[in-house]
Amino acid sequence: MGRYAFYPGCAAKGASKELYESTVAVAEKLGIELVELPEFSCCGAGVLEEVKEAVDLAVNARNLAYAEKRGLDIVTVCSTCLLVLRKTKYLLDSDEDLREEVNEILSEAGLKYKGTVNVKHFHWVILEEFGEEGLRGKVVKPLSGKKVYPYYGCHTVRPQSILGFESSENPQSLERIIRALGAEPVSGKRRLECCGFHAFWPAPNLSMKLTGVNLLDAKQCGADCITTPCPLCHMNLDANQSRALKEVGENSKIPVLHLPQLIGLALGIDPKKLGLHRNIVPVSC
Amino acid sequence: MDKREVVFRIKRFNPGKDREPYYQEYTLSVPKGMTILEALQQIKDTQDPTLAFRAFCRSAICGSCAVKVNGFPKLACKTQVFSELDKFETDTLTIEPLDNMEVIRDLIVDWDTPLRRMEEMKPYLIPDPEVVPDSLEEESRVYPDELKRFDQFTDCILCTSCFSSCTAVQLDGGYGGPFQLARVYRFAVDPRDALKAERSKIGYAFDMWNCVRCNKCADVCPKHVSPVDGIMKLRGLSIEVDLKNNPGARHVMAFYKSLLESGMLNEVLLPLRTKGIRGVLENLPVGIKLILKGKAHSPVMKPITEHETLVKVMKAAMEVE
Repeated sequence: MGRYAFYPGCAAKGASKELYESTVAVAEKLGIELVELPEFSCCGAGVLEEVKEAVDLAVNARNLAYAEKRGLDIVTVCSTCLLVLRKTKYLLDSDEDLREEVNEILSEAGLKYKGTVNVKHFHWVILEEFGEEGLRGKVVKPLSGKKVYPYYGCHTVRPQSILGFESSENPQSLERIIRALGAEPVSGKRRLECCGFHAFWPAPNLSMKLTGVNLLDAKQCGADCITTPCPLCHMNLDANQSRALKEVGENSKIPVLHLPQLIGLALGIDPKKLGLHRNIVPVSC
Repeated sequence: MDKREVVFRIKRFNPGKDREPYYQEYTLSVPKGMTILEALQQIKDTQDPTLAFRAFCRSAICGSCAVKVNGFPKLACKTQVFSELDKFETDTLTIEPLDNMEVIRDLIVDWDTPLRRMEEMKPYLIPDPEVVPDSLEEESRVYPDELKRFDQFTDCILCTSCFSSCTAVQLDGGYGGPFQLARVYRFAVDPRDALKAERSKIGYAFDMWNCVRCNKCADVCPKHVSPVDGIMKLRGLSIEVDLKNNPGARHVMAFYKSLLESGMLNEVLLPLRTKGIRGVLENLPVGIKLILKGKAHSPVMKPITEHETLVKVMKAAMEVE
């Protein structure tokens, strides 16, 4: 199994610590070695670009440079971190002048970006290493009879030119994983829609409305729960669920699991180790 | 020659005649390489002359033939039928008019709403007398480095695909729209323009901070314009011209500050830094839930290892032109 530089991101290190716990537990069970680099900083969630593009690029080229020093590809569990890091790599690898400019900035700190490591989402790695069949072979507690709504959100798939793992119009990675775990994917029409997280501060009502209609879609599809590979989507769908449902005039709740929590349950990992007790909407296992 | 039987499920609506839209199916034998537009034309020529759609240049430059194919905006003339069938593993394609605009008939939408909105946002060069000579004898030069800042945004062909798919447009009637806001940025960084970064105030008035960064506009643009890039840069310009006392700009500066302090985002201080005491109060119920679940970190954060290299890099980046 592979060895990777683990980039948890601020959410998994903070308010979504159950994502950190479940990722570490699942990786250990599957034999994927995650080496967390203590030098990794926050990626700036894209908003650093609004301070200045050079700051955004330099901060993330620094993150990539530390992974290069260890010779390890980066694995992250946050879709926005994934997009920001991959976008930096994409821009620097396709523009030599820009790379030189950024390297001049990095040289102030004795660092250099070479372009030698890749950036992947944790669930991409699981599919690459095991495939659907291989993962099925690891399942000890199949989630039979469960209907799971695969909520991709935005930065796991869009823009395809930068993310590139699968089609952004008809992705299947989550469906494949859900099937491998013995559950049934219920793919509603809003699985690729936005949760509004990144407009939460300037426009909370807009953000909550979006989350609300996404939750409604999952319920209308008859889902028992939602799963998402993005902790920011999770924050809106789970922690802010009451407010979001109020926005669309709905009461009854639906559990939302981080993807590694769902995988962990099927692998037979203790729910406590997966941090399921930390989810705001209770999850019955 | 490779041929496939394809069902085209087309959304039809003639407001003068129909009470509501309906879907009509046409089956066509499609050869490899046939575009959606050629298929529509063949349906019109051989099966149903009443089918209405727009098509002018047929070369992906006029932007008139944009329609939704299986839910996603595409230029019909640039999109091959087989690639869509393979992507969705199907023999049926659903063709619908673009969203967020009124349907004039079948696949033809009314562009007035998005174009009028663009017109309100000064989408033209206002010459800077200090830069642009007043006689035609002299040239007004734009150097390659200057052009690089806005070149990508000049490729927009006004097909309205991004407007159709935009999440903010769906929910906020005051939102400028993706191609429109990207155009504001395009002129804001044109060295010949008189308004320059002041144009970001137009973006502000048209709710640019409500962009949810869903990146749909980047994904659907047939010319790879990526309007969201322009919107984010326009927001940056607004901070430069001191439009700082709003949740969007304050949220940005909260990240910047967090990185300088510890290298990681200080989530606990984010509501206060972004919206002041109102931010704290609005989010108190969720905040308490997070604390009770053991999900909140200390407001004082320990710096990451080698934090000094991050600070050096950030400061050096702030100094470059």
